[in-house]
Amino acid sequence: MLSIRNLHARVGDKPILKGINLEIKTGEIHAIMGPNGSGKSTLSSVLAGRDEYEVTDGEVIYQGQNLLELEPEERAWAGVFLSFQYPVEIPGVKNIYLLKAAVNAVREHRGQPELKAGEFLKLVREKLKVMQMDEAFLHRNVNEGFSGGEKKRNEILQMQLLEPTLALLDETDSGLDVDALRIVGEGINQMRSPDRSVLLVTHYQRLLDVVKPDFVHVLAQGEIKLSGDHTLAQRLEREGYEGIEAA
Amino acid sequence: MSGFSAWLADAEDTHAIKAIAVGLPTKRVESWKYVPTRSLARTTWKQADPQGVEQFALTAGSFVNVPTLDGLSVTEPDILPGEQRRLNTMSEAHGFALTQAALEHSRLILTVEKTASVALNLHHIANQASSAGFATLVIRIEAGAQLTLIEQFDQVTVDQANLSSLRCLLTLDRDASVTHVRFQAANSNAHVFTNLDVECGEHSSYRLQTIEFGSKLARSDIYVALAGKEAQASVNGLAITNGSQYHDTHLAIDHVVGDTRSEMTFRNMVDGKGEATFNGRVLIRKDSQRSGTEQSIANLLMSDSARVNPKPELEIYADDVTASHGCTVGSLNKTELFYLKSRGLSEADARAFLQYAFAEKIVEEIEDPEIRDLVETQLLGELTHGELIAELKESVDV
Repeated sequence: MLSIRNLHARVGDKPILKGINLEIKTGEIHAIMGPNGSGKSTLSSVLAGRDEYEVTDGEVIYQGQNLLELEPEERAWAGVFLSFQYPVEIPGVKNIYLLKAAVNAVREHRGQPELKAGEFLKLVREKLKVMQMDEAFLHRNVNEGFSGGEKKRNEILQMQLLEPTLALLDETDSGLDVDALRIVGEGINQMRSPDRSVLLVTHYQRLLDVVKPDFVHVLAQGEIKLSGDHTLAQRLEREGYEGIEAA
Repeated sequence: MSGFSAWLADAEDTHAIKAIAVGLPTKRVESWKYVPTRSLARTTWKQADPQGVEQFALTAGSFVNVPTLDGLSVTEPDILPGEQRRLNTMSEAHGFALTQAALEHSRLILTVEKTASVALNLHHIANQASSAGFATLVIRIEAGAQLTLIEQFDQVTVDQANLSSLRCLLTLDRDASVTHVRFQAANSNAHVFTNLDVECGEHSSYRLQTIEFGSKLARSDIYVALAGKEAQASVNGLAITNGSQYHDTHLAIDHVVGDTRSEMTFRNMVDGKGEATFNGRVLIRKDSQRSGTEQSIANLLMSDSARVNPKPELEIYADDVTASHGCTVGSLNKTELFYLKSRGLSEADARAFLQYAFAEKIVEEIEDPEIRDLVETQLLGELTHGELIAELKESVDV
């Protein structure tokens, strides 16, 4: 599904990723953990195509294509989805406009027929229920005035609607209370599929108690320092990142 | 020489002589320094011919089909001394204002009677090529009365420069309330001039929403005086300036007395080689204590050759005042664009979404659903790739 080879990226003159190697096979869930400033968010942003980051070396192959050559919208059409750490507020645009436009743009590029208003509403109501969101969210402006938890639920709602092949979830657990964490976690679990891969970027173990990853990687100083199964997350929670970084 | 010289020479008006002597304002006149006056000077202007219409309209400087409504009376054109003073001040503002005064073709004086509630919809009919109409509208809104005044422009094609000018005096008595919507979508060769002077009495409330999409050149001089205690004014505006258009709004709110509140919100979106000027001035006089004002100006530049000249001015001489202000100039926000594109929207659609969002913050405030729909529909027509949003509105708005 995704091969990241020797990926180097920088912001301005500052190198952030210093040779990332990672293989994600179809159906797998990988968690990237690491201290603040280790490059976790940079990795997911580079994969989604944010242009503030400059890739200086290495390659990313996604389903046989050179992912780094694609525009962000082309990546979305190809099935890549990024759940933002800080979802963007767009005052003046109703949530439902964005949701419907996004769903139909992605469907069009996958050769699926456009969803008519009635079909779309039926689908979105189903997904709202999963995310325990009120229908009023559809008619509010995109993320404007949403609480931290509502924004993250809105991200997972978008993921549910867009049905990506590769989901990049950037600190989706940050700013969530216990209940919201459970709802978001279940929303992610519901998307688990043999055809879909997930890259979870997180600082804490708590989301990984709900969404159990197949592999855990520790990112520090722009490199993957250690990889293991889900028990590695528990070890990190006990021992902290310091021991890993020193190793 | 201005393109009005011959016409002014024929006009029997004291302002005319002065207007000829002063001429059109040059770049040296601060409030006119960005106005491209070339087409005004080059056209030999003549009085327009009125056109037959069925609605209440302004055509060729004349008001036609003035409606007969309960609570609305048409007054003989006897101007009150206070009104005359305000008209004089308006006329002296700059060389073109003198021309507007001198070439006034007609004057309509209306009174909204005490505690009455009246809605007026004034249609601006385009004048013919190389012709102009100048008119003055005076409305007195008596104590406790309510007025909704909607101005809209017909959409036609006129193949050469045409001009319309409206000077408007509104006087709000105690407890009166006015909602005023101006939707300027005039033809692409139109030169539209507006001079608006509003005086708000005690406990009255004035709300203006001004939307400019149309015309080749539009200039609005707006002055709102909060002259009675507890008076409040809210002015919000949007100008979308494209191609080689020029839009210019000079807005001043004057807290003449204390315990008054004002709010000013203006957004410019400029594309192509368009140029927009916004001067927003708030004056809180020395004795106007316990007054409050909020000012917000945002400018969105869509192309490298678009220009915007925003100038916020707060002049506060009282000490017990709350005031906030902000002015921004920028292009579309990169993070917002990335967010939309990461959801599968094409670059063009993402840009249209954000332009729509920028304008909609003003448009969504229009209360009258009919005029709001009209503005939104035309707004989407103004945007490159506005079709997607039009289709979305159609399909999912309930």
